[in-house]
Amino acid sequence: MSKSRLIKMVLLSGLLVVSLVAAACEEVVELPVERLTIGQGTDPLTMDPHHIVDSPTASVLEHFYEPLLELTPEGELAPGLATEWDVSADGTEYTFTIRQGVKFHDGEPLNAEAVKVNLDRRLDPDAATEMMYLLGPVTEVIVVDEYTVKLVTEGPFGPMFSHLSHSNNAMVSPKALEASWDAPVAEPVGTGPFVLENWQPDHRLTMARNKDYWGTAPQLDEIVWRVIPDDASRVIALETGEVDVIVRIPPLDVPRLEAKADINIEVAPSVRTMFIGFNTLEEPFDDPLVRQALNYAVDKEAIVEHILGGIGRVSDAPISPGIFGYQPIMTYEYNPDLAKELLEDAGYPDGFSTTLRPAVGRYHMDVEVATAVAADLEAVGIDVTMETMDWGTYISGLLANPEEAEMYQLAWGCITVDADYGLLPMFHSEEVRPAGFNLGFYANAEVDALLETGRTTADPAVREAAYKEAMEIIVDEAPWLFLHSESQVVGMGTHVKGLVVHVTERLLAHNAWIDE
Amino acid sequence: MSQYIIRRLLITILLLLVITVIIFAMVRLVPGDPAVLMAGQGATQEQIEITRARLGLDKHPVEQYVIFMGNLLRGDMGVSTRTSKPVSEEIMGRLPNTVRLAGAAMLIAIVFGVSAGVVAGIKRNSVFDYSSMLLALFGLSMPVFWLGLMLMLLFSVHLGWLPATGAYTWRHLILPAFTLGVASTAIIARMTRSSMLEVVRLDYVRTARAKGLTERLVILRHALKNALIPVVTVIGLQMGILLGGAVLTEIVFAWPGIGRLLVNALLARDYPVIQGVVLVIAAMFILVNLVVDIIYVYLDPRIRYQ
Repeated sequence: MSKSRLIKMVLLSGLLVVSLVAAACEEVVELPVERLTIGQGTDPLTMDPHHIVDSPTASVLEHFYEPLLELTPEGELAPGLATEWDVSADGTEYTFTIRQGVKFHDGEPLNAEAVKVNLDRRLDPDAATEMMYLLGPVTEVIVVDEYTVKLVTEGPFGPMFSHLSHSNNAMVSPKALEASWDAPVAEPVGTGPFVLENWQPDHRLTMARNKDYWGTAPQLDEIVWRVIPDDASRVIALETGEVDVIVRIPPLDVPRLEAKADINIEVAPSVRTMFIGFNTLEEPFDDPLVRQALNYAVDKEAIVEHILGGIGRVSDAPISPGIFGYQPIMTYEYNPDLAKELLEDAGYPDGFSTTLRPAVGRYHMDVEVATAVAADLEAVGIDVTMETMDWGTYISGLLANPEEAEMYQLAWGCITVDADYGLLPMFHSEEVRPAGFNLGFYANAEVDALLETGRTTADPAVREAAYKEAMEIIVDEAPWLFLHSESQVVGMGTHVKGLVVHVTERLLAHNAWIDE
Repeated sequence: MSQYIIRRLLITILLLLVITVIIFAMVRLVPGDPAVLMAGQGATQEQIEITRARLGLDKHPVEQYVIFMGNLLRGDMGVSTRTSKPVSEEIMGRLPNTVRLAGAAMLIAIVFGVSAGVVAGIKRNSVFDYSSMLLALFGLSMPVFWLGLMLMLLFSVHLGWLPATGAYTWRHLILPAFTLGVASTAIIARMTRSSMLEVVRLDYVRTARAKGLTERLVILRHALKNALIPVVTVIGLQMGILLGGAVLTEIVFAWPGIGRLLVNALLARDYPVIQGVVLVIAAMFILVNLVVDIIYVYLDPRIRYQ
């Protein structure tokens, strides 16, 4: 073959590549539909509600699946797939009346039997679903009649109703579950107002209105969930109108976006609280005086004001407002002199050296917050070395060997909006790994007893009193360096109406509409 | 010549085999128990044992490797621990996007890189020469995420000409392809220029001129053809690099390619996916270079005598 022929061939094949590339990028046919496009940072990790572990996944799946009880944005329990619910006097039998005339997306009817199949799967260790502790003491699920189901527990279980509103306890078609009992179901088959139309992983998920929905029909024809991982690109996509809604806006972009006429910024509280945990077993953090000193040494107001751009709330308890059982307890005000005095009383007049593991890239401005904390601690004579790792390495290391960390940064989202979920796994002495998330080995018999009272009592007043007392002890003994609760910053075009930004970090578009 | 090609093919097959061995060993040599890693965070002891049996980790390493290769040849690369979907499905869902992006970026790089390099080489020390080479230096040094965001600000936010994110139409391809192609354009331009400079000094170019050919013919038919020989190698290497997943470009432009799949898999410790993506990237790199080597033989007859 001569060289000129070869070059012609190369050019021709080049042309072929170009036309192939062009052909591969087919145009999307635009239909006249009412569509809402939402930009999130990550793709859903699963299509099975029983396997949810993160809120972006929950946001999407809440449109396919529904739980027995709904938690309203105001934090009240409302009827969902159950129309009525009741607890026996001794607090061991929980009866639910199931809504009639509801069908799953595959045509299967919702009835007491379907509910039992779902809850049995949640309770089956072999099915290995996530957050099984939500149904903690349930021993048996009984079908009373076609539309009545009864849950039997070992003893009273205060948070039962709020836990049943959790996304992880949503109802899946029993037919789908039979086919996929011990593995996550691949296609969403729920009862919700939307059905899956198309999912291109890491790109976009399209859901269409469920024409046979039992409740108020949604106004939107379609919701498109797009994955835009980079914060700055997500903001640009909102500005150009490529998406109608975005989540997790970086605080620094908020003033600029707020100045735009066609964009609304909604700052909603979140039930996620950030803290720095101490290893309470080891010196010097085994001494409450030291832990209190460190709490006094950090300027929390400045962190919220300057690092979070005011988008956050300085903590005054281990949990945040909007959670059942929350009450303002106390904030350690910024007082470096008092911190130094306490350190002197504790026997550390010259401070000490320690390490801090920051959470990198998981929360709003996480590393910046950890750096500010370290700087404040340096100012009272504590030499802090940052042990920085990527999030995956950090969290798996921390969960596997919590005893190796001296100070660690985390945030806990109390997504059942019940103090049981916010306090028990963090502060009960039996909730050390692998049972719970008491990563600092905090132990106080009185706190244990109070948290158990809160969990095993049905009377809300008794529960509230127990949580208040427990939190007073916890705040005083300071197993954490209390920081702040996050706020969710959601941006949307002014044409988006009726979108709910839930305290549990879920975005609910059930009743949203586009106002042209 | 066919002997040369056969030899290259054999070496390629050998290389691919070596890579499967390395990747096979990689997952088994990482600190810790691979069954624990593969079973995922929070797995029970029972799940770990099931994973161990499923992966055949209780068998002799050689037997394990044979099974691994057998599955691989059938296209079975295991199941993602993050999404519970087959790894091959995860990869095939994204590979066309990566090929599209890399192909478009390469096209931009070849068109702009070669033309700028040729002109700069002919008009040595001219204003064009200096400015294009300075531009190439910028192109090489510019961080991809910064360039990408700046292009978005200009063309999407201010001018409103092009979409900023996503992978829907050919218009969505322009900004990411340009962003990704800039560094390769710069490398190709600089390579073409220096190769051009070398060639125009050679005897056959002087002969061509002495024959009375027009300057155009001398450059296009005689100089350029020979100057492009080393450039082809660079193009091949660049193509391999572009196909290897343009992680930053994909993140900035929300482009669903295998680069992002790999990063997500790394962050989630999803070993089956990491293994699969690395294997595919390595295989593509080797295959592209095989093609380049074969093209080379046609372009440069001297090769076959070596």
